Amino acid sequence: MSYVSVTFPQLVLSLGLMAMAIAVSARNGLGLEKDLLVGTFRAALQLFAVGLLLTVLFQNEHPIGVFGLIGVMVLVAGWTAARRIAHGPGTGVLFGYATLAVLASGLLVLVPVFAFVIRPARWYEARLLIPISGMILSNAMNGVALVFERVFASIHDDAPAVEQLLSLGATPAQAVQRHTRAAMNAALRPTINGLLTVGLVALPGMMTGQIVSGTAPGQAVRYQLVIMYQLVAVAAVAGALASRFARTLSFDTREQLRTFADRRVR
Amino acid sequence: MPASLEARRLRKSVEGRALLDGVDLRLEAGTITTLGGPSGGGKTTLLRILALLTAPDAGQLLLGAVDVDTLTPRQARRRIALVAQAPAMFQGTVLDNVRAGPRLAGEDLPELEARALVVRAGLDPRFLTQDARALSGGEKLRVAVARALALRPEVWLLDEPTAALDVERADLLVRLLHELAIGGAALLVVTHDARALERLGGTNLTLAGGQLTREVPA
Repeated sequence: MSYVSVTFPQLVLSLGLMAMAIAVSARNGLGLEKDLLVGTFRAALQLFAVGLLLTVLFQNEHPIGVFGLIGVMVLVAGWTAARRIAHGPGTGVLFGYATLAVLASGLLVLVPVFAFVIRPARWYEARLLIPISGMILSNAMNGVALVFERVFASIHDDAPAVEQLLSLGATPAQAVQRHTRAAMNAALRPTINGLLTVGLVALPGMMTGQIVSGTAPGQAVRYQLVIMYQLVAVAAVAGALASRFARTLSFDTREQLRTFADRRVR
Repeated sequence: MPASLEARRLRKSVEGRALLDGVDLRLEAGTITTLGGPSGGGKTTLLRILALLTAPDAGQLLLGAVDVDTLTPRQARRRIALVAQAPAMFQGTVLDNVRAGPRLAGEDLPELEARALVVRAGLDPRFLTQDARALSGGEKLRVAVARALALRPEVWLLDEPTAALDVERADLLVRLLHELAIGGAALLVVTHDARALERLGGTNLTLAGGQLTREVPA
């Protein structure tokens, strides 16, 4: 098996690509130069740190290390999904709900696939558990963030109609059904588009990685399909849980609509 | 005889300002009560509390002598109509809007009945197939009245209902409100419209400084 190796000078050379993006931003007055610069080094730092951590974890494979890292992933995903939600109850309140949505949807999708499809040699095999969990949890995180953002913002914008429905005897679920449906739809849309265009527009990252590092395309395709189906399932479950939580948080015990100020405004 | 809707010692402060400072109010079946007062004085807040959309800081609400806290919010709200000054229209036609209330409870309102309600609210029946969100302010108000009529509420809370109507249509609406009162409903109408005030008659209250006072006709 052969794989492509990248030397350090070759990696430095690839920084030219970021310079290209920074030049485009500067030339068009996008004001993104600082973000791009920070992003360039932050991505490198994070990935090198993770690479180092994975090397240590792979060499000293132990359930505590593997599940500890996955636990950290869940918490970071929950925190990220709960941040910067306009017209929501605040990151402190949302964090618990977001983490629960990420964790529950992740478990529901990952456990059966590891148990019946991928079946690692050891149940805590770091080489399989960590990267696959990372992909699934990150999709769950995006789904939860999108649903929270959409549901709270659209309920806020449409508050008079929501209250009018309550006034006519609607349950909270009936009063915000239009909003929760639209948000769940939006959360699933990118993953569904991914399913429809996969292989036609781009080869997915994991499959590309496997092929580049020498796996037979036929095997890489099967793996990729399992992952894609997992991504769709996790987006659906995480979106449904997040919309349920957002609805619960939008009403008080007397089924009155709660209003939240825009927390992004300083 | 118990009032249709009774508020006892309602208190509500917003940003440290007492909008309602121990307000008592009885809306009797078959009567019209009008409410005036300075803008920002808490009239809309009072309507929202009576419509169970905002919780008071303290106080009690009785609907037909029963504490509303012992009823489910949806049961109680169906018995109280709130017609906002600029009512929100739901997506769809006027017919969809008029049917919204019964549909929420899983009931179907026949088109013939919806048509009758729209006419009663002062709209031409050809509006039934029009996009409710594209209507004028006055037309939306009448759709909101028709939408509320579909639930046959015992209590009506109306916020400046004649503001977007011309004199002729305002008079028609006042006539409808009198019919509702004759039919046994209790009505609370927030209005600054002198003509409507005179034609509505009934008890005239003023809300100012957190207190509700009864105006005595000069």
